[in-house]
Amino acid sequence: MNLLLAEDDPVLADALQQQLLNAGFKVEWAENGAVAEYLLKKQDFDVAILDLGLPMVDGLTVLKRVRDAGRALPILVLTALDALEHRVAGLQAGADDYLTKPFDFPELEARLHALMRRGRPAGAAQQLRGLTLDRSARRASIAGEAVELSPREWTLLDLLVTERDRVVTKAQIAEAWGSEESAGGGALEVYIHRLRKKLEGSGLAVRTVRGLGYLLEATAAPA
Amino acid sequence: MSGRSLHRQLLLWLLLPQAVLWGVAAFGAYRLASRHADELVDATLLQAARALARQIRPTASGLFVDLPRSAQDILAADPEDRVMYMVSSPPGQLLLGDARMPPPPGAPTLNEPVFFDATVPEPMRVVALDLRLSAAGAPEQALRVQVARSSKPRELLARRMLLDTALPLSLLIALMSMGVWAGIRRGLKPLAELQRQMEGRRADALDPIELQAAPPEVGALAGAVNELLGQVQHSLATQRRFISDAAHQLRTPLAGLKSQAELALEAATEPALRQRLQRVHESAVRGARLVSQLLVLARAEPEAVAAQGWDRVDCAALVRDVAAEQVPRALAAGCDLGVELPDEAVTVQGVELLLREALVNLVDNAVRYAGRGATITVRLRRAGDDVWMDVEDNGPGLAPELRERAFERFVRGAAHGEGCGLGLAIVREIAERHGGSAELLPAAPRGCLARLTLPAV
Repeated sequence: MNLLLAEDDPVLADALQQQLLNAGFKVEWAENGAVAEYLLKKQDFDVAILDLGLPMVDGLTVLKRVRDAGRALPILVLTALDALEHRVAGLQAGADDYLTKPFDFPELEARLHALMRRGRPAGAAQQLRGLTLDRSARRASIAGEAVELSPREWTLLDLLVTERDRVVTKAQIAEAWGSEESAGGGALEVYIHRLRKKLEGSGLAVRTVRGLGYLLEATAAPA
Repeated sequence: MSGRSLHRQLLLWLLLPQAVLWGVAAFGAYRLASRHADELVDATLLQAARALARQIRPTASGLFVDLPRSAQDILAADPEDRVMYMVSSPPGQLLLGDARMPPPPGAPTLNEPVFFDATVPEPMRVVALDLRLSAAGAPEQALRVQVARSSKPRELLARRMLLDTALPLSLLIALMSMGVWAGIRRGLKPLAELQRQMEGRRADALDPIELQAAPPEVGALAGAVNELLGQVQHSLATQRRFISDAAHQLRTPLAGLKSQAELALEAATEPALRQRLQRVHESAVRGARLVSQLLVLARAEPEAVAAQGWDRVDCAALVRDVAAEQVPRALAAGCDLGVELPDEAVTVQGVELLLREALVNLVDNAVRYAGRGATITVRLRRAGDDVWMDVEDNGPGLAPELRERAFERFVRGAAHGEGCGLGLAIVREIAERHGGSAELLPAAPRGCLARLTLPAV
């Protein structure tokens, strides 16, 4: 996973590089906007972290120029500014996500993965604890053993895995199912109940979030 | 020094000189009236004296006085109007009339009447006329005729004349005063308007004063005040921008510190070192949080609020978003976070970003202080004209005496923990900016209920 880190603060950049490296990224560091722009245009990265307050060329300009040059890689904007107008400007200039300093590294990592998943064509297999999702074949297996899933169960699991550790609302599920009927009826509970049974032993569990929806989390004892 | 009211000063300086002038005029009028009355009375007296003199004819043996009925009538005149007369010849020696008649001051010239005032016993006006009578066959004789008349009618006349002048004058003064009073009021109205606009102001209302059709003097004053207001506003804005910029600038080094501490923690194995690194990390986190809250507080300032979008906010969506966003954190802290939403749509008018911040702070507080294993519920409810956003937990709760203090800046419920005491102050600031309120209530059977009350639309 090639990543460009454009950050001018050496202390933060140094720590981030190390943390990203530990998380399995191959990191290229750009300490100013000009270098960042050059590297983004010349090299292929899977994802980029761009600070808005860069010297030489500011981050917003880099972002616009890179997008104008036809580069479509996912870019996460990292900034000390968090006012709404800055956020809007960043997203309008072509940022895919926005994170305010200081941040929790796990959150940054989760967002980077989410960005890359979104950018990646469906088909790659995904491993999560004991669960393996083969998206091209729409097939799931736990510890090598195939799990029988109905189309609705598959969609539900896919959504929960994509958004793992985040709340998936009933409305999101209904939208994923493409059903006209509200997912609020008893049907959803039935599907969740079945999915829970099928996920036993995977090291993953579906948690109910009162009044909101569901969330896929790792259970305390990994499989 | 507190000066006298402009109103009173203007009234004084406009009316006092006039009153003095009117007084002088009245006095002059009285004097004039007196003189005219004197002249009138004197003329009558002289006429009477001459008439009396004509009745005296010298004879060879002396003087013959023929006082006919008509002459007596003239002299008797009015019973109220006392008249005295005396004919003396040679002057001073009573021939006819009243002996009490006082002599004239000095010797009168022949044929020239002398008028004077005397008291016999009441104040009287007297005329003395010295004549020489001569007739064929008789010796020439010196004669003095004196006629006196009470001064009372003369004074009455003068007083009546004065009254006739003074009464219309006073009326005129009264009318004039009213006119001047109304004029001053009218003239000072823009000042009163200026005062009204300044009085009703909150200390933080720095928008310029607007006066419609103000005269140049007041307009200049308002302009000066507006300029001052503008300067204050500018310096306040500069100060706030500085706070905001400084807070932003602090974020990057804090993020670096935090990340470095996290890395060091991963590498460190020695327990004592780990403990110190843990503290460094906690400080970095707390500093970062404080900086974020300072920024929110700066954004909740009145002008900043006015500059942000003021929209209809769907409260159910807001509660759902905030709760969903906070669930991972709550789970990490061992709390069960859920929501209870009404079926009906609930909306308020406000800045969504700020309301979101307020709710995040309340949920964050609950997660921080309710403790592991607690149940936290975000409940949206409509209560009459209000909207309640409640964050209830079944944690240890808060002592009653701390419930109000918790809203003060930098006061913390628990002695430990990461909170830095700005969260609830921010919530209250935001609630009040939206015409609402924030309070902490006890929950049943135990725990804490933080309530954000906002006016519904």
